[in-house]
Amino acid sequence: MISGYLDGLGMVLQLSTLLAIAGGTLLGIVMGALPGLTSAMAIALLLPVTFGMPPVAGIGMLLGALCGAGASGSIPAILLNIPGTPSSVATTFDGFPMAQKGEAGRALGLAIVASFFGGVASMVILSLLAPPIAEFALRFGPAEYFSLSIFGLVIIASVAGKSLLKGLIAGMIGFLVSTIGTDPITGVGRFTFNELSLLTGVNLLPALIGLFAVSQVLKDTFEYDPNERLKESGHRIDIARPRFIETLKHWKAVMMGVISGSIVGPIPGAGGSIASLVAYDQTRRFSKTPEKFGTGHAPGIVSVESANNALLGGALIPTLALGIPGEAATAVLLGGLMIQGITPGPLLFADQSGTVYGIFLAYLLANVFMLLIMCLGIKLFIRVLMVPRKQLLAAILVFCFIGVYGVDGDVFNLYLMLGFGVLGYFLNRYNFGTAPVILGLILGPIAESNLRRGLQSFEGDWTPFFTRPISVAFLIVAIGLLALTLWQNYRSNQQSTPAGDDSV
Amino acid sequence: MTQRDIGKPLFNVVLIIVSASVFVAASAFPDVNIPGDLSAAFFPKFLSGLIFILAIPCLIKDFQEWRKGGQAVSSSSISLVRGASQWLFVILLLIAYVYAFERLGYMISTALFTFSCVVGLTVLSGTWGTLSTAVKSKALAGALVFSVVLAVTIFYVFTDLFKIPLPT
Repeated sequence: MISGYLDGLGMVLQLSTLLAIAGGTLLGIVMGALPGLTSAMAIALLLPVTFGMPPVAGIGMLLGALCGAGASGSIPAILLNIPGTPSSVATTFDGFPMAQKGEAGRALGLAIVASFFGGVASMVILSLLAPPIAEFALRFGPAEYFSLSIFGLVIIASVAGKSLLKGLIAGMIGFLVSTIGTDPITGVGRFTFNELSLLTGVNLLPALIGLFAVSQVLKDTFEYDPNERLKESGHRIDIARPRFIETLKHWKAVMMGVISGSIVGPIPGAGGSIASLVAYDQTRRFSKTPEKFGTGHAPGIVSVESANNALLGGALIPTLALGIPGEAATAVLLGGLMIQGITPGPLLFADQSGTVYGIFLAYLLANVFMLLIMCLGIKLFIRVLMVPRKQLLAAILVFCFIGVYGVDGDVFNLYLMLGFGVLGYFLNRYNFGTAPVILGLILGPIAESNLRRGLQSFEGDWTPFFTRPISVAFLIVAIGLLALTLWQNYRSNQQSTPAGDDSV
Repeated sequence: MTQRDIGKPLFNVVLIIVSASVFVAASAFPDVNIPGDLSAAFFPKFLSGLIFILAIPCLIKDFQEWRKGGQAVSSSSISLVRGASQWLFVILLLIAYVYAFERLGYMISTALFTFSCVVGLTVLSGTWGTLSTAVKSKALAGALVFSVVLAVTIFYVFTDLFKIPLPT
């Protein structure tokens, strides 16, 4: 482990890597501060930029974006009562009342430091838990990998969207798209339509950018209303001084946030809003002054913000150790890892431990940069909120285009990106979700190749898939969770069936 | 708004038609016999079949919801039309941008796209008609400057900083 950290340190402590992490963090902060723009979108937009970079620098940049977006959602939440990201909803409960009392700088200072503590604590938990999980996964053969892929697909499909059936359909659409191209075993062309660009399959980059960035821009375009402009915050902030001592005084709230985020993070699809709401609720429950919550009480902000950033480290555990992401942003990050030539999973820890520990350290540094950039540039990020929407949308679209085209100069990929953008728009609009599509695209080939390899080695016998203990355990848990989700949906439908409810 | 959105059941119809077409197309894949292996068509047929089956209950549910919505016209129908026209405009503009990208080069096509996007959204959102001539001229000049600055900045960031060549 120590040699891994030393190797990783050598990779991280290079000027280009440090600049990449800082740049990613800055973009993540800007994107997270803008309501409606997501951390998944920030990562998708940065993917093309990371192509020429060494793996640790590229992944560090993406982690910086994830970390920055996780923290900066608190800016509009505190100043305007508008959560920048879904996980910042709970920040408005005490952040905005504190700002209304004339203490906006204090609220931001607490939020920044709590995010930092949450992020650092989750990095420690990540570095302690991910290696043993990956070591355990070294026992996996084709049967286990097939079952693990099915498990990942089923879990994300059942929890990512509003409807189990629609989530499953979205996952299968992704899986189906992943079969496009030359079949790796028989050499048969599948749905290639004599298009050279499709012979090697659908490129992951246009799919990621289309599904997570273009679809979001199309949604914003549909909803664009020039009369709905954000009003400038009336709160005066000279500098959001980091409140280390005051945050540490509320160490119980920090701990509650870290525990909530670290437990909720690895659960596929659970998401930041659940972690922060759990942290807020538990902190209030154990507080001696629960009546103060909702009135601008510091522990309310501290617990929520530490949970938001602790969640990221937790979500990275299954992503790096098993190759199964927890939600949309880590699904895009997984795509980024694969584009970088890094295949997440147990072999990554065995073969490239230096890179893995470099990624851990890059995540730690991303938290440090987040703290510095948020403290120094807070006034600038408040101005970002006022950027006219139509200019922003046009700029994001141009960035998407250049990013996709710049990688291999193939115009076909631009049409592919547009197609995925339109598909993603409708999938989101009709509650299918886009995260399961990406999971299907990434896990589909793993599931197919391992099933077919397994069947070849077992001479066409399917029984090992259902008799090997780890393989069958994954399948049983997946089926059990599917049944549980169906039962919960049935129960909620029985209790009330409002029109437009998609919970089936 | 969602109660009267015919697009919801229609999207399921599209899924059913596409999945059936994929199943038929996959059935025509040549069968290469490798001992113990599934055919190249197995997963496409299996997945399209499942999508077909799962989309049917979704269609029934969404159609019932749409019918339950009654004849009430949504109060936001005007904004729906505006939103749809803005959406369609950007899609068409994006297709034109892809078409023009290699023909006109990055700089001209990007500046044209950005300018058209900003001005087009202003016009379609209904604010253009309310502006005075002086404000209109100012808005046009602002959009022009923004378009050129954005195109030039991104060009240098990508070509000089990230060493990614763009067509000129």
